[in-house]
Amino acid sequence: MAYSLSLSLLYLGLLCGNGPVSARGSKLFTPDPSRGPHFTGCRSREQETFRCWWSAGTFQNLTEPGALRVFYQTKNALSSEWKECPDYTHTVENECYFNKTFTHIWTSYCIQLRSVPQNITYDEACFTVENIVHPDPPIGLNWTLLNVSRSGLHFDILVRWAPPPSADVQMGWMSLVYQVQYRVRNTSQWEMLDLESGTQQSIYGLHTDKEYEVRVRCKMSAFDNFGEFSDSIIVHVAQIPSKESTFPMTLVLIFGVIGVVILLILLIFSQQQRLMVIFLPPIPAPKIKGIDPELLKNGKLDQLNSLLSSQDMYKPDFYHEDPWVEFIQLDLDDPPEKNEGSDTQHLLGLSRSGSSRVLNFKSDDDSGRASCYDPETPDPEDLASLLPGHSGQGEQHPLVSRSSSSFPELGVQQTSEVVETPIQAQPAVPSWVNMDFYAQVSDFTPAGGVVLSPGQLNSSPEKKKEEENEKKKIQFQLLSDGAYTSENTARQLSADVPPGPGPEQGYQSFPTQAVEGNLWNGEYLVSASDSQTPYLLPEAPPVPILPPVSDYTVVQEVDAQHSLLLNPPSSQPTVCSHSPNKHLPAMPTMPMGYLTPDLLGNLTP
Amino acid sequence: MKESEEKARSLLTLKQVILQVWLCCASLWRFWVSHAVPLDCKDETGSLTHCTSISQEKLLDRVIQHAELIYRVSEESCTLFEEMFVPYPLHTLRNQAGNVCHSKPFPIPGSKSEIQQISDTWLLHSVLILVQSWMEPLLYLQTTLDRYDDAPDALLNKTKWVSDKLLSLEQGVVVLIRKMLNEGILTSSSAIEQTLAPYDGQSPEVLESVLRDYNLLTCFKKDAHKMETFLKLLKCRQSNKLSCLSH
Repeated sequence: MAYSLSLSLLYLGLLCGNGPVSARGSKLFTPDPSRGPHFTGCRSREQETFRCWWSAGTFQNLTEPGALRVFYQTKNALSSEWKECPDYTHTVENECYFNKTFTHIWTSYCIQLRSVPQNITYDEACFTVENIVHPDPPIGLNWTLLNVSRSGLHFDILVRWAPPPSADVQMGWMSLVYQVQYRVRNTSQWEMLDLESGTQQSIYGLHTDKEYEVRVRCKMSAFDNFGEFSDSIIVHVAQIPSKESTFPMTLVLIFGVIGVVILLILLIFSQQQRLMVIFLPPIPAPKIKGIDPELLKNGKLDQLNSLLSSQDMYKPDFYHEDPWVEFIQLDLDDPPEKNEGSDTQHLLGLSRSGSSRVLNFKSDDDSGRASCYDPETPDPEDLASLLPGHSGQGEQHPLVSRSSSSFPELGVQQTSEVVETPIQAQPAVPSWVNMDFYAQVSDFTPAGGVVLSPGQLNSSPEKKKEEENEKKKIQFQLLSDGAYTSENTARQLSADVPPGPGPEQGYQSFPTQAVEGNLWNGEYLVSASDSQTPYLLPEAPPVPILPPVSDYTVVQEVDAQHSLLLNPPSSQPTVCSHSPNKHLPAMPTMPMGYLTPDLLGNLTP
Repeated sequence: MKESEEKARSLLTLKQVILQVWLCCASLWRFWVSHAVPLDCKDETGSLTHCTSISQEKLLDRVIQHAELIYRVSEESCTLFEEMFVPYPLHTLRNQAGNVCHSKPFPIPGSKSEIQQISDTWLLHSVLILVQSWMEPLLYLQTTLDRYDDAPDALLNKTKWVSDKLLSLEQGVVVLIRKMLNEGILTSSSAIEQTLAPYDGQSPEVLESVLRDYNLLTCFKKDAHKMETFLKLLKCRQSNKLSCLSH
């Protein structure tokens, strides 16, 4: 009972007395001028000593030293008498210093501010030393850069410090925790980080190009009293301008390149054809108009027949050119059976024996001039060679000019071979002249010359010959003025004309002429209207152009049955501009290419 | 003045002598008992097994960690109680509460210089005595706090936790003493009797009882800090004898 009463009295006394004095030791150095003499604070820096300060307050007459005195009492001692301040600091006014010997931790002190002469206690405070500890600020604050963000806008730093030298942390006498604060320079708001028991702390997310202030303070762990702040350090990381400026530049470059590439692609695709022509010029392939070159290479002969027959190369235009016709004078007196002396020979008056001559027809030279023939082009030599003798080995016809080896050449020649190989129009006497002026063409030279043979006009229908190198006889319609083939003969042209009396050796396979647009199906027809016949060199006197006679028609094509299809005569063809000489109308180029022997054989059964 | 000083000095020396004698007798008595009961370690099944050994430094570190934690929790409990039950104007009493803290049978030096002079033995024994002296009051505090109507659970949990930790701290200190000082100590209840305020059946919300409990909490907090500091000093001495002593 007494105990509780005393307790309550004590508490009330404290309440009425001084109120919250510096019990926690936090209020400092702020003397209250409205009050009388009072303690302004007590502090311990290292938990080994402490000081107390007081102020005279409004009582100015007590300011001289010695007027106010401090007495203290430790409550754990056996004696509870009041002792005076052991040390009044001389340098600082109104300070009482308790050194190590007078400082007892975990003991509560009570101090009193008295005026001894009047024996008045103006102020009293009680505390325990560990509760008034305010550690010194840490020392050695510095920072190091941890990293900078990729964009160069943010950076992280590591802040380091050392504990205050006065605090005996090493011995374990004090356990300190630290608090770091930072702010952008010259702003008012400090950023506070969590308490850190170590001596370093990382700060993340700072902005480059901004100056930061960093400071640190400490307190005893599990206590409330922070010490003073350390001096602030300035943290500044300059922004790297190049990085930022190059970043959009690289983007611009990349996008520019992509745009250019897209434009190029579009350009290429839009101008594909032209570019293809520029960069990859087409190699002219052997091509006959309307006929697939592949088919020629690989196709069946039947197809080829049909193709060739369907060719309307032999337009009336060709035929309607100036109807120059090589006239072959026929020697009617000669017997038709001439062995070696083929009709051609007779026709041309070539001796059988003769040096093998090779008639060089200038078929190759006249490339590109498909429809026109320049009569001047052939060499006179060729003509001359034609006249005297005949070439050939043995039984070869004089018109055989080429060796067989050259056939394939001709066959694949791209140039529009001048089919207009002049053929010597020799006034040979055909043996078969019984009636007509017809001469049967037994064979064609590769150069386009006509090999005549003593064929029957109205010979029996053909026998089909399936062999290759089948000789093909083409009935040739020759005119004395112009040779025409009648319809009958025309029909038989395609037929497989039997050899007849005359040997047909030396038939040359007709070289297939691959002329662009000029396919010669191996038939020569000389009609009044069209002269697409073997052109005969103008050794013969110029033949007047005969008007087209309706009796004679143009073999239009060879149908599937290898029969000639004739066309009604058509209008006058246009004159080739190339030919200067009307007498010798421009030789049409061999509209059709030469046939190879195999094709020849297929064409005429 | 001189007489009083001389009296004080003589009292101090007397105190020291009494303390030394007491310690000697206590240790002798325990030695006579020679009942060095080692700490029993029990595995999951409950059977007694040989305790796994631990190095002295590690043990000391663990003991220090215990003491730190106990101190921190006690400080939190004190703050909780203060906010909850103690009227604001009386918060200053936390510093004056040392007046009525129960006194120890022997004075424990308070100044740093004195503490530096005492031996390791004394340090450890002081810690042990402190720990043992607070076991009962904390149990008492638990019961009283339970009687409060609106005592926060955190406060109750903390108090209970502190009691448990105090037990393990005592065990640790005993082992330390055995290892460092080669002494065997009985972990029996302390011979120190606490004179606690009798429970007079008043309602716990009365200011008086509140203040009493508040006083108890603050005193315990102070002693926990003392224990922690002692153990840290001991650690410094163990690791680096020279610098710790010559301060």
